[in-house]
Amino acid sequence: MKENNFVSAVVYVHNQETQLTGFLEKINGILAENFAHYEIICVDDYSTDQSVGRIAEFAQKLEGASVSVLHMSYYQGVELSMNGGMDLAIGDFVFEFDKISCEFPGELLMEVYRTCLGGYDIVSAAPARAERWSSRLFYQVYNQAAGRRVMLRTEAFRILSRRAINRVHSLCQSIPYRKAVYASCGLPVETLTYEEQGKRSSMPREEREVRRDMAFNSLILFTNLGYRLSSVLAGLMMLVAMLIGVYTVVIFVSSRPVEGWTTTMLFLSLAFFGVFAMFAIMIKYLSVLIDLVFTKQQYVIEGVEKMN
Amino acid sequence: MMKEYDKIILGAGLYGLYAALFCAKRGQRALVLEYDPEAFGRATYVNQARVHMGYHYPRSLSTAMKSAGYFQRFLEDYGFCILQEFEQVYATSAKFSWTDAAQFRQFCQAAKIRCEEVGPERYFQPGMCDGAFLTTEYTYDARILRDFFLEKLAEYPKVELRFGARIRRIYESGNQFVVEEEDGEVSGTGFLLNATYASANQVLRRVEGILAEPFGTKYELCEIILCHPSKTLEPVGITVMDGPFFSIMPFGKTGYHSLTSVTFTPHKTSYDMLPTFPCQEKSRGGCNPAQLGNCNTCPARPASAWPFMSHMAEKYLRREYEFSYSHSLFSMKPILKNSELDDSRPTVVRRFSEKPTLVSVLSGKINTVYDLDEVLII
Repeated sequence: MKENNFVSAVVYVHNQETQLTGFLEKINGILAENFAHYEIICVDDYSTDQSVGRIAEFAQKLEGASVSVLHMSYYQGVELSMNGGMDLAIGDFVFEFDKISCEFPGELLMEVYRTCLGGYDIVSAAPARAERWSSRLFYQVYNQAAGRRVMLRTEAFRILSRRAINRVHSLCQSIPYRKAVYASCGLPVETLTYEEQGKRSSMPREEREVRRDMAFNSLILFTNLGYRLSSVLAGLMMLVAMLIGVYTVVIFVSSRPVEGWTTTMLFLSLAFFGVFAMFAIMIKYLSVLIDLVFTKQQYVIEGVEKMN
Repeated sequence: MMKEYDKIILGAGLYGLYAALFCAKRGQRALVLEYDPEAFGRATYVNQARVHMGYHYPRSLSTAMKSAGYFQRFLEDYGFCILQEFEQVYATSAKFSWTDAAQFRQFCQAAKIRCEEVGPERYFQPGMCDGAFLTTEYTYDARILRDFFLEKLAEYPKVELRFGARIRRIYESGNQFVVEEEDGEVSGTGFLLNATYASANQVLRRVEGILAEPFGTKYELCEIILCHPSKTLEPVGITVMDGPFFSIMPFGKTGYHSLTSVTFTPHKTSYDMLPTFPCQEKSRGGCNPAQLGNCNTCPARPASAWPFMSHMAEKYLRREYEFSYSHSLFSMKPILKNSELDDSRPTVVRRFSEKPTLVSVLSGKINTVYDLDEVLII
């Protein structure tokens, strides 16, 4: 019995002509076997190799399923491109493949789908093995700072229900980092882990740069880490300015300093105190502004339950 | 024995029959040759049945203004076959649209056509559309229109209609075109009008002695789904426009709604000069690149894209606007290649020769049929 739910698979493609065909055949095989109707959307993030040609070849052989390519105008990185792909998808459930890799076992796809049917709006598949050190550091800092119940980690692919997609779109003005928005969407989410088969592919340089940028943006937008750090710094500097003031008075009383030193020092400590106090207020303002501009909803709920 | 006519018209679609009636009223002798056993069997019947007011072309003001101009005239002439009593809603999608709400408003103002903004939440899921507009646009019923033309033409004995016609040869002889049919009929005329649609290039290539440059078209095998609308959807037509979207609107006076989508309505595309499709091999001889069969009755017609189209519509529409599948119609559609950028749909009239005259007309819209007047008035 094939599933009647319509599923979409959104695949991020950027110069992957060598692995692409194998990957598409793998997921298509599973989808064709299990679903009556499905579509595959490849988001081509300005590939300069034969990737699009490979997709065309693959699509030629396919009957009964729809294959579309969303062409990005220039390289825009995985997050923005996948946002576009998600907007195009029409399925009741949507698979997101952020990268092309066949390292996950095939059955996992359906396992993730069934977990989703079991009441989890977003289900991710993540490798059990520890990830790259830079990613590890980022996730550690992020999870610590965000303090939400859902922890972020490196993921291979995930599935979203239509409800989850609608929810995340009503949460923020834009989705700069999907994982963070998904984690904070307030709906039940789940992660399945698996043992990797084969070697992990390395990340190209331009993608590393985009990701580094995104890491900083996410920390600022989704956690109050930046705010906390800078307000602590501002407070610290205010304290130092104040201590210098006290020190100046003590020196003035106990030993006779050179003429003019005391006034200069008192002026300096007062001025610096003022500057850092202003900084503290400005940082507060900025964090309130980000909140106002970026978030569309003040609170998120998981559901309403009637108890009697 | 060769019979002589003032005009021979190839194709009994709207353009063909309109031309025949036009000639009949001037007392001319005319012959209409149609491959199918009936009139209006292809593109005139198998389309969204929209009487265009121009809303569809927010990136081509010229197409829009022309549609709006002919709209009123079409309404006066053929009002009996037109369904007016429904709300036609045009919406701009929040994502992927080539036109946004503000641009559409501006465009309607420039084209001087009605456009009343309503809240998109009335029809659409939250966040899907950034603008929705009530417009004035109608739908025509091809069957009623066909019967009208056939009835009218029957009043003129000088007009002959031949269905199931199989043309063997078309050639130039003196200042006449001679059309020979398989069954031995031979007809001559000083004015040959090619009013076929997807077969336009096929016909042009068969005219011997004239080097007719073919239309630069590509071909799409298109599916229109007819569905049963829910009570809420019944008096409403909805078009999410200018991008990979869909339209669901009343189909003439049939009680059905037609469902189409930009991505899934075209099943196969051919970029050749003549329509060449892999399904032609499976058509049991009914169809080939030199002579198109009727896709609608073809044994090799593709499986319906209903799962895809219905899902796209459901993604956008509020739950109460439900609909269920009835059946599908298929047809071949030629698309002028140079109209992709501005999405315009010009009527192309080509005059290939004088004395004898060979004219070919290609238009994708029903109410620009009046473009024929200036061609026929000689």
